[in-house]
Amino acid sequence: MIETKRPPQNVRREIITLSADDGARLALHLWRPRRRPKGAVFYFHGLQSHAGWLWEVGPRFADNDIAFFVLDRRGSGVSDGPRNEIPDVATVISDYTVALTHVRETIGDDVPLSLFGHCLGGSFLAALVHHADFTVRYEAAVYCSTWLGRLHSLLGESERAALAADTGTQLWDAGLRSEDFTAVPRYQRFIDDDDLAIRSITRRSRGTLLELERLYVDPDHPDRSEPPRVPTVFVSGLTDPFLDLDDSRRVFDRMVTERGTIIHFPTDRHYLFYTDVRDDLVDWASTHTLLQGLDRDV
Amino acid sequence: MGSTQWQKHWRTRRVPFAEECRRAGEAFLVDLKDPATAQRRVLDDVIALCADSLHWKERGHDVLTTAPDAFRDTLPVMRYDDFTEEIDREIRTKGGTLSCSPVLRWLKTSGTTGVPKRVPYTLHWLLKYRIPAMRAMWGVYLEHHPEILAHPYAALDTQTVYEDVDDFLAGVPYQAISNRHPKINARDWNPPWSAAPWFGTAAPSSHSGRMYHRIRHFLGEDLRFVSAINPSTLISLRDLIVEHGEDLVRDLAEGTLEGRPHTDPDPERARRFQAVLDRGEFTLKDVWPSLNTYSSWLSSSAKLYLPRLEAVLPGVSAMPFMSCGTEGVTTIPVDDSLDSQPLAVGQAFFEFVPAETDLGALLDAGERVETLLFDEVEEGRDYHLIMTQANGLYRLWTGDVYHVDRFVDGTPWVHFVHRDGIFHSFTGEKITETQVTRAIERAMTAAGRSVGLYLCGPRWSEPPYYVMVGEISDPGEEQDRLLSEGVDRALQDINIEYASKRTSGRLAPLTFTTVPHGGIAAYVESRRQRGNTTQYKYKPFQQDTDFAADILGDTASTGAHR
Repeated sequence: MIETKRPPQNVRREIITLSADDGARLALHLWRPRRRPKGAVFYFHGLQSHAGWLWEVGPRFADNDIAFFVLDRRGSGVSDGPRNEIPDVATVISDYTVALTHVRETIGDDVPLSLFGHCLGGSFLAALVHHADFTVRYEAAVYCSTWLGRLHSLLGESERAALAADTGTQLWDAGLRSEDFTAVPRYQRFIDDDDLAIRSITRRSRGTLLELERLYVDPDHPDRSEPPRVPTVFVSGLTDPFLDLDDSRRVFDRMVTERGTIIHFPTDRHYLFYTDVRDDLVDWASTHTLLQGLDRDV
Repeated sequence: MGSTQWQKHWRTRRVPFAEECRRAGEAFLVDLKDPATAQRRVLDDVIALCADSLHWKERGHDVLTTAPDAFRDTLPVMRYDDFTEEIDREIRTKGGTLSCSPVLRWLKTSGTTGVPKRVPYTLHWLLKYRIPAMRAMWGVYLEHHPEILAHPYAALDTQTVYEDVDDFLAGVPYQAISNRHPKINARDWNPPWSAAPWFGTAAPSSHSGRMYHRIRHFLGEDLRFVSAINPSTLISLRDLIVEHGEDLVRDLAEGTLEGRPHTDPDPERARRFQAVLDRGEFTLKDVWPSLNTYSSWLSSSAKLYLPRLEAVLPGVSAMPFMSCGTEGVTTIPVDDSLDSQPLAVGQAFFEFVPAETDLGALLDAGERVETLLFDEVEEGRDYHLIMTQANGLYRLWTGDVYHVDRFVDGTPWVHFVHRDGIFHSFTGEKITETQVTRAIERAMTAAGRSVGLYLCGPRWSEPPYYVMVGEISDPGEEQDRLLSEGVDRALQDINIEYASKRTSGRLAPLTFTTVPHGGIAAYVESRRQRGNTTQYKYKPFQQDTDFAADILGDTASTGAHR
């Protein structure tokens, strides 16, 4: 558990280069305490962001004795891969499986691991844990500011079919505005100026996103397997300019068969880590993770 | 924070701060008695910190984990610019590229090319190096002058400021090292007065505005100690009292600060202060009779300030400031010696190259640079300083030249002599040849001319300024005026420290006097005849301004500053 009276730690920051199944180099970012971590969080970033957005979040997790891992998704951040392109579902699942296998080997079997997906990262997380090929053990899952099943909610059946068949490479603008992410000017400026940010993706990439959604909204998907019953939480602000929160929570409830927890933090912006609730969210996620390692039978 | 709250904070921090400083000072003294162990510890720490970084792994430097003694054979000597590409990467990753510590800030300092440097300020460097160095120095101050912590108004610390930051690199604050706002965590620099209104963000960020607040807060108080990095700050303290005396008297009498309610009206204190002002040639000792110590840089060119400091602070004893730059700490005082300090052997891994070696040429040629360790240097000689800091900048040729004064317990005591390739720096502005050349180029281009030979030297005055003489085709007073203004403006644009000192009045405007083509070349040739004719080179930067009289035939045009 967290020591309640101690000075701040001298935490480490590392970038581990992983080799994907096809040889692509993927950057796995890590912030960790100097001694052995008591818990670990693996973060799935959204469409636009990458690990470089988390320079204040990572050290705080580490100071809480949590090893905080972030994979720059293929095509994002400093990882290999064409920009504006999300690879096919098999590659997405494989990349995350490689990364999480490495994480589990690194932290050992007895350290609790939470999977934390933000925005579109939550959809990647949901798809991964519902995929039969993913067998890495984890102890908790957090969906943060995520519109689960967004494309299934917004598009009718025929539109989804058209999107699934679309192999176009034209760019689709996600229409992301920094002021919807945060009200803080310096973060807005960072988002606007970030040359690593992904603001648009190819049309065929949207087809991949739809296919990823199918893994967790379609119970009959051939590659699907039921994820383990671990504590699962939906986290968001009180409102979110990008999400239909009610719709996302409905998908969440179905996905976790109404066994999930819902937590709201007092903000109306999308990127909670660039709001006043940042430290509270990190501290909550830290303790939530650490508690999964609590053994009351010792 | 109100007066009650900040003084409560002062009282809460007083004893812990003194203890933190005492412990850091003691640890430094232990290092000084066993410098080899301290240097080995730093080296091992740097390797442990950096071996897993992207840069070290990609270049194979991580072999040092198992072969630390190959450090100098494995890593090249670097100039700041050699790190540019990796710094660009580190700005994106915020750690993990050059070292395995989070980058919390980027430190801004004037670069030799006029482009501000970006020095990574990492959590590890903060906790293990920069803060302990500050504490060790203040430990010496407190040991010699415990009255510094006698009460909340005993010390006026201008070394550090808390100012809002408005510049960022990929979201991370980009600021001068002297600005320690915001406090990063509970282990960050936290002197008892850190919550004081004269110290914090409530005070104006302009030099004169902040100084006014400091003076107003301390007027009539039992001030014992005033600390500055640059001696010019101490001089300007008095100058600003002169300039704003009337406002200060009114604020004191009415209990205001710049017209806003501040304290109870104190007409008696205002009357006493007015009496000091009425003396005309008053000193800071007249303003604060209790003042008995000040600290600042007092070596190298800063020594030129000593006579003026003695006039402004008569009978007030001096304590030294550490030799340091944004890139790292080189020496830390252990006593009140003003001429020399021990090498800070626990702060960096230090290497030296005899100053007569043309290090730049060696690096340009890609040749191997043989370096000396701390125990291989000789008393009485000057050396280029190469240091490896635990922020990822390894084997960095600092450009600083140090003189070895003596050895004590095996640790060299050294003092800063000058910047390699840099002529002079009155008060920390570090004007380089490249910067001046660029400033002249800009001004000449604006005037439809091209830059020619010029000479530049420092003129000691109150305040000091730079004297330049340059060749153009049609010299004259109008061109002198235009180019003086243009070069001064361009130099402020290029060098933020020069701009700061100019804005605060610590430097007067430079003068640029035009002479016909050939005028300087003839002068250079005449000098060649006097010295080593083979090796004599045209050097735009001169040690003094004698050249102006020699070239212009009199000192009238440059001697009396407007």
